[in-house]
Amino acid sequence: MLEPMMYVGGAYKHSQLIELVEDLGGYILQKNIMQSEVVLLMLVPINDIPIVEIKSKELLGKLTRAPLTGSEIATVAPTLAYHHLPHLDCDVAEFLRKQGAKTNMVGLARGVGKRICQLTAFERDLINEHDVAVFILGNYEHCIIEKSKKLYEGIEIPIVVTGAPELRTEDVPNATAYVGSFGRILHHLRHAEELRTLDKLAQVIGKVLDDVRVEIAKDPPSVAPPRIKKEIEENIAEIVDNLHPLPITLQMNGVRVKMPYEEYHEQIENIKFVEGVTMKEVARVLPSKMRNFILIKALPKSETGFSI
Amino acid sequence: MEQLETFIVECPDATGAKTTRSLILDTLSDLSLSRVIGRLKVYMDPVEPVFIFAALLRLGSPSIKIKDFARVDMGALGKDEVKIEIEKEMFTIKLLNKLWAKYGKENIEQPDRKIIIVKTDPIKDLDMLRELVVEEPQQEVLDRLIDAIALRIIPEGFRVRKHELSSTHVLFVASEDTLKPEWLAKGQEILESLRREENA
Repeated sequence: MLEPMMYVGGAYKHSQLIELVEDLGGYILQKNIMQSEVVLLMLVPINDIPIVEIKSKELLGKLTRAPLTGSEIATVAPTLAYHHLPHLDCDVAEFLRKQGAKTNMVGLARGVGKRICQLTAFERDLINEHDVAVFILGNYEHCIIEKSKKLYEGIEIPIVVTGAPELRTEDVPNATAYVGSFGRILHHLRHAEELRTLDKLAQVIGKVLDDVRVEIAKDPPSVAPPRIKKEIEENIAEIVDNLHPLPITLQMNGVRVKMPYEEYHEQIENIKFVEGVTMKEVARVLPSKMRNFILIKALPKSETGFSI
Repeated sequence: MEQLETFIVECPDATGAKTTRSLILDTLSDLSLSRVIGRLKVYMDPVEPVFIFAALLRLGSPSIKIKDFARVDMGALGKDEVKIEIEKEMFTIKLLNKLWAKYGKENIEQPDRKIIIVKTDPIKDLDMLRELVVEEPQQEVLDRLIDAIALRIIPEGFRVRKHELSSTHVLFVASEDTLKPEWLAKGQEILESLRREENA
């Protein structure tokens, strides 16, 4: 079992930590160097965390658990109008990104109103490609409840809803979790109180993702998503020249590869692991709804009978 | 007169009223409109659903014409030209832009900082040029106001709307469903109450 961790510390000698994690069988997912500081997002085997902790103390860095690491989150706004953007939606997306998640913003075509809101089939499928959907709704209790009754139809992933009133999750139909004190805010979230609300949102999403992890652990994937990422990086040279942010985005039980499906899907399907199996035996390589990208979903152990 | 002498957001949903209030303040300050609105009252009922926005306006200076800041005369004798002698340079850039758009750059000369020559028939155009509007502060403010109310403040789902707009007041009634006559009447009533406060 791998634990998502974040290391923040000086750039000096940080490569020692990277090597340690890789030697332990963990994965470095993202490395950001900002002047003399480095932020590492990584997956560490749960039993070896104390060793990594000792090393990070030695380097005078800080090691924290970052439950959002390795997940792809959709932040959904009713539309892409001034009512919702740029504040709040972007703030939420950016904040979750800082916590280690990859966020994609989705603006619905007809998501407005409590009676007239709709979700198109395309939007539904696109949102379902993520790990969690965060719906950013407005100010009024009645509207949030009415809207929730039908807007999330067909969405199979956990749904986190935000809004102004303090409601209990049970009161919001179809929602996995609800976070209050947001609402339609038209300024940059920077006051201490607002930042605390964002912290709470990150916490709630972390909890939701942990539940997903527990669920996945019951029937673990045949191949760990970071392993898929590593194999693609090693086998497909063109990924180096890919200019998309995070060309291979990790998800809870798969990855999204930001390369054209038609050109690369066969190459990816035929990647051979050292264990002797090919990618198509342990994962499904699908066309993504997002542009012409590739979506890879790892097959569960119950389907293949083995895990590597 | 003070800005925002009355600012009331009425809503059965207390949290909703609080956030609506803050979002209106944010929008007004974003578009620098807080000085424009004298009294403002909003009524919102999410259950009905209806959103009424009524405000009394304090628009600033009226529109500015060329004659307000320059002398417009015939040009040199025997030539088809109009001479504009500028007294306040503040509006020169806007004036030049207007003239360029109207006559083309080749027909506008500026031999001196404060003198603009327009190559056109003076008999025909002189009076028109004197009255040419160079800046319309009121119109600009009203445009921004409509942007604020219709595109930012009123909830997006409320697409059925009826509005009144004059230089002294603005009234918006919006809903997701067909507008009911009693909502329109309520809008008028709110506007009247604001007027009574103003006159008291």
